[in-house]
Amino acid sequence: MRTRQLADATGTGTTGPENVIEVGGLRQKYGDFEAVRGISFTVPRGEVFALLGTNGAGKTTTMEVLEGYAPATDGTVRVLGLDPIRQHRELRPRVGIMLQEGGFLGDLTVAETVDLWKGLSQDAGRPVTLSGSTELPGGFTLLGSRIRRVDRVTMGALELVGLEKKARVRVKQLSGGQKRRLDLALAVLAAPEVLFLDEPTTGMDPEARRTTWKVVEELRDAGTTVLLTTHYLEEAERLANRLAIMHEGRIHTHGSVEEVVATSGDMITFRLPGTSWTFGDLPVLDGVAPALTYASGGTEVGYTLSGPDAGTRAHAALRPLLAWADTRGETLERLAVRRGTLEDVFMRIVGEA
Amino acid sequence: MTKTDVLHAVRLARLDLTLVGRNTTVLFNVMLMPLLLAALYSSFPTGDVGGVEGKVFVLTGVPGLMLAFAVFINLVNAFTSRREELVLKRLRGGQPSAMAVMAGSGLGALAVFLFQALLIGIWVYRFEDVLPVNVPLMVLAAVLGVAVFGLLAAAFSGMTPNAEMAQITVLPVLLVMMVAAPVAFPADVLPGPLAVVSNLLPVTPIVEMMRTGFLGADHFADGGEKLTMAGQWTAALPSIGILLVWVVIGALLARWLFRWEPRHG
Repeated sequence: MRTRQLADATGTGTTGPENVIEVGGLRQKYGDFEAVRGISFTVPRGEVFALLGTNGAGKTTTMEVLEGYAPATDGTVRVLGLDPIRQHRELRPRVGIMLQEGGFLGDLTVAETVDLWKGLSQDAGRPVTLSGSTELPGGFTLLGSRIRRVDRVTMGALELVGLEKKARVRVKQLSGGQKRRLDLALAVLAAPEVLFLDEPTTGMDPEARRTTWKVVEELRDAGTTVLLTTHYLEEAERLANRLAIMHEGRIHTHGSVEEVVATSGDMITFRLPGTSWTFGDLPVLDGVAPALTYASGGTEVGYTLSGPDAGTRAHAALRPLLAWADTRGETLERLAVRRGTLEDVFMRIVGEA
Repeated sequence: MTKTDVLHAVRLARLDLTLVGRNTTVLFNVMLMPLLLAALYSSFPTGDVGGVEGKVFVLTGVPGLMLAFAVFINLVNAFTSRREELVLKRLRGGQPSAMAVMAGSGLGALAVFLFQALLIGIWVYRFEDVLPVNVPLMVLAAVLGVAVFGLLAAAFSGMTPNAEMAQITVLPVLLVMMVAAPVAFPADVLPGPLAVVSNLLPVTPIVEMMRTGFLGADHFADGGEKLTMAGQWTAALPSIGILLVWVVIGALLARWLFRWEPRHG
């Protein structure tokens, strides 16, 4: 049963027994460079939590501390109640890791890679497949001059990520997106309780991306806790129960997708011909000054109204805007009032910082 | 090591052997080069050495030199390229322990080395009609040799920035082994200081133990005195001691220098 539990993600994180991942005041330094600057968050069991951010935001560093690759410079981290460094041996069988890149032996075939990893995973004997496909017959494949059976678990894992037809292909011949899918197959092979996915769909084509999303959704529905990092806002919106936006080592906002999007408020947007417009030329609406961007011989104008009743106030602000345009004889091209998006929040945070 | 560690190590060793067979460069360096080297060394006209036909003397010592290829060069390359390709990182994040990963590589290298030593044994028997008299001593030399050079390989891979540079990193060790190893001559024929240095290098005790195990005689000096089984083990004790010291040195160096991931930045 999935537990939905909202928790603070900036410093007062809820630390109840249902929290599978707990991060408190995490700081991580490499020499003089502080990659992560005191972040806190918790992830309850069965939740997908997304860390969003630009390159260098500190997402992967955070992930690697949780995976036990590096000890934290300061702060506390717990995964399933265990210290990822000191209790690595107990934790490893319960965790699946999808690296951001690489980690494959190019001269092995896809099936051999899964076989190897299965042999190195304590609990990988359980079939790992999407529902309904556990009855797959074991396939046969040519490996060099020998005929070797590809067992059901391996085929199940490959089918899960749509690589069953590549079973006999050497890993070095796979595309970047196919390697990402193989990585996902390895990560879920031992049916982990916690899954760390570092930019899981980078380099994938749209179809593979959707397949991956479906896998993550099925795992989440089966009770797996997932921490993922991504650049793709659409991915976070679709998969995450909650998310945090990181920038320059800090979490700037967090919450459910709806909560985070709500912080962006409502927007009035339009375009004016010409690029000679300045802030002083345009009216202040509901106490908000406009944001201007110049492109293709025109000026894009945006007003962001946040707080309670932002939608009502945005519509009310149209009246003085139209009056201003009427007086000046200007045409407001592509005039729209719309809810803010995750991208708006993201861009605001990156821009402000 | 736990039972799981042993199982993981065996799987990783099997993996290493599979990969040796799939990469022609590795196959040449690891499998063929040592045998070509043995052929080259044994073609030198040495006459009798310590009462043994020169070719037999060389061939019974040459397995010590083969460690350079089958173990040292092989593992420096493997550790370095796997670190660059993040394979070591993936293994470290998985269930195999660090001990199992290291032991797996060592076990694979040991298998290659024993296979080559076996070929040399067959060669010596087929053409020189000499059978080894103390196989356990030879196996012990092989195990200790693989341990020392496997650990040194781990340490050297930490100093090697990428797989291309590995060809250069291994050269000093390779040259020292080829010059100082008493393959074609007894160690005590070297000038005084060089003999001391040669005796303290890890390759010399391995050559000595291999030769003693094969011929049942102590060829450390130019005498080649025949020994009983107990005498062979007694004669090997100093060599075993030196190798154990090198195991400790290798472990400390590996702990200090070995890296699981490429450097950040």
